[in-house]
Parts: sequence; structure tokens; C-alpha cells
Amino acid sequence: MNKLKLNFTSLSFLPILVCIPLGYQLINNIHFGGFKLFQEFLISAFNPKIDNEIIITVIKRLNETILIGFFSWLVSIIFGAIFGIISSNFFYKIFNIPNFFCRIIRFFLTIIRSIHEVVWGILLMQIYGINFSIGIIAICIPYIAVNSKVFAEQLETIDYKSFESINQINAAKFSSLLTLIWNPIINTFKNFGLYRLECSIRSTVILGLFGIGGIGTSIFLSFQTLNFRELWTYLWSLAILIILSGLIFKKIKFNTTNKILSIFFIAVFFITILFSFSYFLYFIFNNIFNNNFENTNSVSSLFKSSSDLGLFDFLKLILETIILSLLSTGIAISLPPLVIGIFNNNTSKIFIKIFSFLLRLIPTPVILLTLLTFNNPSVSLAALTLGLHNAGITSKLLFTNLDRQDKRNYIAMKSLGISKKTSWLLGLFSQQAKSYLAYCAYRSDIIIRETAIVGVIGSVGLGWQLQESLSSFAWQEVTIVLIAYSSIAIVGELINGKIKNSLT
Amino acid sequence: MNNTVLELKNISYKYKNDLILNKINIKINSGEKIALLGKSGSGKTTLISVLNGTIKPTQGEVKLFNKSFEELDRKQKSKITTIWQDLRLIEDLSAEQNVNCGLLAENNFYFAFKNLLNISSFKKAHKYMQLCKLHNSVYDKKIRKLSGGQKQRVAIARSLIQGSNILLADEPFNNLDPKLITTIKNLMLESVDKDNTKKSPKTALVALHRLDLLNDFDKVIGIRDGKIFFNIKRNNLKKIHLEKIY
Repeated sequence: MNKLKLNFTSLSFLPILVCIPLGYQLINNIHFGGFKLFQEFLISAFNPKIDNEIIITVIKRLNETILIGFFSWLVSIIFGAIFGIISSNFFYKIFNIPNFFCRIIRFFLTIIRSIHEVVWGILLMQIYGINFSIGIIAICIPYIAVNSKVFAEQLETIDYKSFESINQINAAKFSSLLTLIWNPIINTFKNFGLYRLECSIRSTVILGLFGIGGIGTSIFLSFQTLNFRELWTYLWSLAILIILSGLIFKKIKFNTTNKILSIFFIAVFFITILFSFSYFLYFIFNNIFNNNFENTNSVSSLFKSSSDLGLFDFLKLILETIILSLLSTGIAISLPPLVIGIFNNNTSKIFIKIFSFLLRLIPTPVILLTLLTFNNPSVSLAALTLGLHNAGITSKLLFTNLDRQDKRNYIAMKSLGISKKTSWLLGLFSQQAKSYLAYCAYRSDIIIRETAIVGVIGSVGLGWQLQESLSSFAWQEVTIVLIAYSSIAIVGELINGKIKNSLT
Repeated sequence: MNNTVLELKNISYKYKNDLILNKINIKINSGEKIALLGKSGSGKTTLISVLNGTIKPTQGEVKLFNKSFEELDRKQKSKITTIWQDLRLIEDLSAEQNVNCGLLAENNFYFAFKNLLNISSFKKAHKYMQLCKLHNSVYDKKIRKLSGGQKQRVAIARSLIQGSNILLADEPFNNLDPKLITTIKNLMLESVDKDNTKKSPKTALVALHRLDLLNDFDKVIGIRDGKIFFNIKRNNLKKIHLEKIY
């Protein structure tokens, strides 16, 4: 009997099996009450509301979104680089400091990034109230930790022999450090920084749905009032913003040999650090020393309040969160290659690209709320939402890589009379499968964290419990839920790290 | 008068279970030019790494100016310069930025910063690059865009700009054409002071493969399997010595 052999290509498709239990639950949960609303939602996409009043609102809300997104990006990228340097082994080698400190900082950063910005946002809003700067802080906290990981990984790739050579010149430690890390830091910024700006804007929109301001708040309000035409005006304007920012940044070339530009960037770097520290001190002084925050009693009750959360319920929520992550990851991995492979012609490609753009554009809570118009809340529905949104992101990557790939194998196979679909699978996708899976391993880290967002809206998992506990100021429960969340995300990150290492 | 500048006393170096250097004793006097001969994998590179302090020996003592490495300050350590076999240039920096890195020891952090921003003076770097016969079209090119021979000369220029009295070089003439080898060899072994006015004796230990380049050296050390087989004056080198190590 032949043994079943799994390769990277088949492993990319295998997770689609999650659709069997998922589809079963979705079919059982279907209801027809909201089909009309869903239809209206779709039709409104082609007929958004356009008048003077809404245009003024769009401009105002987009300004807020850009401001929160831009400042949180700037602060998180700069501090991400700083924390990346001090959490890289390289730093400790240069200064002859025991590696132990590096591990402590890394562990601390892992905990911080394991909690999604929405959770930070809800938490901070509950303590300090709704405030423009809370949005920036909520995004900055996990983003600094995420960016620091990327910068640290890049710094680990510095050739140790270059370090030995600079070390042998006997330059001052800081001069050696700067000389060696300069280009890896600049290159990471060039390759990764702009993508993070897009992420910051998306996070601002999602935080807006929870009331922080910007276009997200308008999207949520129009959804609540079922004003779909207005909703699509906001969504399309957001799409224009994302496309325009992408085009503008494609045109900008960060030339480090340009003296004026370099001096400008350094000035921005130091001003941001100075401003952030000043603001941090102001925030501490204003909110903590003056005992000025709104729910002081609630926070101080952390150690007093008793939790109503039963162990069984709590374990069930943890299990739901894990299942939610697994199901969503399955969809995000397998759906793009499956759809692109089946509908492998130029017209279909355009439609898939537009659809995946919409999945990336529409915030997950809005997708979920739309799906809730004809399906009851469940783990499967939340997983479908998260899976579809992330499939939009993985499909973008897959399209980009497939477009760049050498197509000679594919052409050769087709010329041998092999079908178009098989040629695509073996001649094109099979060469991308390994790197695609490695990226998906990284993506699943994000999916675990994003379960918080759909959990809050879709009444599933720990996200829902967190919202409930926060609403009732049950701080002990909040702490327990956060610890559980963080633990799941850290374990997930460790497993995905191992998978990613075995694939790269 | 004791004019020993570098001394290895009973040096052994073990990597995992392999003994790479086995009880090595060498004294290098000021102004001496020593050629280090040996097959590939005989321990030449490791010996150079021990001499410049990059590798700590498993056993034995390395002394520079009669002091152990741990006792030396940064300025004293910077009196040694090394040309590595694998060059160890910073690939993302330009040729002139790499050569300027040789000046990091005598300058402050601000200089390093200016060098990376391309706003420092490259006058001195250009002078040394010219001496190494590098054409000015390569000055601002990234290392990864240079040919093997050009990279080799950038590494040599970076080493020379340090103005150190002691030169350690590991097969520095690789990738160079015969005409350039003579020029570069003279540059490396002749000592030029920083102000280019006064010449002082330069101490050099150069690992070589080519026997036709031995003419300018005072002594020859032969190494095989991490052991020194001979340490003699160049004039006394005979075929029998070479048979022992090759």
C-alpha cells in the first residue's frame, strides 16, 4: 500500500478541511430574518451616499484617523527599533553584557504583543475614558513590541565576522554598534515600515469602532443605524486613503545618501523620542499622581473583587478561543490558493483581487455584523469572519509572489498538454508553497490575537468575556482573561516560531 | 634590549574536540616581517585570530608590549591591524565608508554617525584608496557591487588607514593581479606614519601560499596541524622545511 506523503503544496490545501465542521454549524445556524438587510448592504456598495454634509464628515473623520494612525506608527516604529536593538543578541555581544537581560526584555515584549490593540484600547478607555491620545497609546503598546521583534530578527542576521572585524579595529562600543546596525535598521524600515503604517491606519479604524474616534466610529454608527449607503461612503473613502497612501509611499525613495533627507529623519527621530517622553511624563503626572482617572476605585478593587467566572465556563472560553484561532487559520491558509487555483484565468483574477481587497478593507467587526444578519452568533461564524479577513491578506501576498515568479516551468508544463490548473499547481504554486506556509505561520500569530475583536462582537471566546468583565468593572476577571489570552498567544507564537524555523 | 611586541606563550586552542593550535610559542620583535606558511586548514587563520585577540586561547598567554590582552586599553589594542582572509567588510556600506571604519578607533561616536550619513570627510579614505590603486569610480559603490580584487584592496586600505604599527594579514594577495601584488606588498610592509612624514619600522605577520612573495620577509614560520614545524630566517629556508608542512 502506498504511504500518504505530505509536501508543502498539499499542506497548503489540507487546512481547508476545517470547512466541514464550520459549514455544518453555519448551515444549522442560518436564519432568514436579515437577508433583506444583507441585500441592502451589498446594493449600497454601488450607491454610496454623496452630499456636502457627508463629504465634510468624511474629511474630518479621515483627518482624525490619519492623525492617530500616523502618530502611533511614528512612535511605534521608532521605539520598536530601539527595543529591537536592546532585545537583539548582537547588542549584548558588543557590550559584553550577559545575554540574560536580552531574554528578560524579549519575554516582556512577548507578553505585551500577545494582547491585541483593541484589548489595550478597551482597557485604557475603561480606565481613562475616551480620549484621542488613548487611541495612540493603545496602538503603540503592542505595535512597539511587534516592531521590536522584526527589528531584532533583522539584527540577528548581521554577519558575526563583520562584528569581529569592527571589534578588532577597537572602535568605541557605540561607534561599532551604530556602524553595524545602521543598514539593517534602515533596510527594515524601508521594507517593513510602510506596511506598518497601513496596519496602524487599519487598527485606528478598528479602535474607532469601539469609540475612539476617526472614521471607524462613523462606520460603526452608520451600521448601528442601518444606514448602509453612508457606511459605504466611509468604506470607499477609507479604500481611497489606503490606496493613495500606498501609491505615495511607493513613489518615495528613502535615499540615505541624501544629506538633507538624512538630517530630517534624524531630527524627526529625536523629536519623536523627546515628545513621547514628555507626553509619557505628563500622562503619568496628570493621571496617576493627581489621581485623576475615572475609575480609580474600580482598579483598586482588583484585589478585592471576587470572580463569578466558573472554572468550567472559563475553560470552555479558552477552548472556544483556540478552536476559533485554528478554524480561522485554516481558512486563511487554504482558501487563497484554492480559489486562485480553481479560477485560474485573467478575468477571475481581477474579481478575486477586488474581493480580497474588500475583505482587507472592511474591518472584521463590520464583516461579522453583516454576517450576523442571517446567521446566529457562533464560533464558526466568528472563525469565518476572521478567516476571510486574513485570507484577503494572505491572498495579496500570494498574488504578489506568484506575479514575481519565473513562469518558465508553468509554460513548459502547459506546452506538454498538461491542464492549466495542474500546471499552475505544479509549475507555479508548488515553488511558492514553502514560503507561503512560513508567512501563514506568522499570520496565525496575528489571528490568535485578533480573536479578541471578533470575540467581543460575536459573543464567543475570551474576547466576549473580556468585554463583559470590563463592562461590569470585574477587574479580577479582566486580569484572569488577559493572562489566559496572553498565555494562548505566547504558546501559539512559540509553536508558530518552530514551524516557521522548520520552513525557512 | 627586549623589543618583543607580540608574544605567544604555550598557546593551545581547542574547538569542540579538535585541537586547532597545539602549544604554540612565537615571539615577534619590533620591525620584523614574518611570513606564515602552511596548508589550508593548518591553523594559520586561527593563529592570526589569537594574535589579534579575536579568539581567546584555551590555554597559554598572548602578550602585546609585554602585557596580556586584558590589561590593554583600547588605544593600545588599536596598534594591531588585521587584513582578514574573508575581508569582513560591511556589505551594505560603500567602499569609502568601509575604509573610514578604520578610523573609528581614533574618532568619537559623532564621526561614526557622520560616516554613515555620508557627511564625514572622505579625504583620508580616498588617499589610501588611491594608494591601493582603486579607481575613484568605486569610492561610493556598495561593497556588494565590487569585484573580488576591488574588495581586497578596500580591505587593505581600511587596514592601512588605521596607521597601526603591527600588521596581521591572512592571505592578503588573493584576487590581486601580479602587478598589483608588488605595489600592495610594498605598501603593507613599508611603514607610513599618519602624517606621511616619518617612517618607523613596521611589524608584520603575513599568512601566504605563494613562495615567490617571500623575498621581503625576514623570517618564515611553518605551521602544520596546529603545530609550528619551523621558525627560521628566510635565508635559511630550504626545500626540506617546505616538505614538512606541505
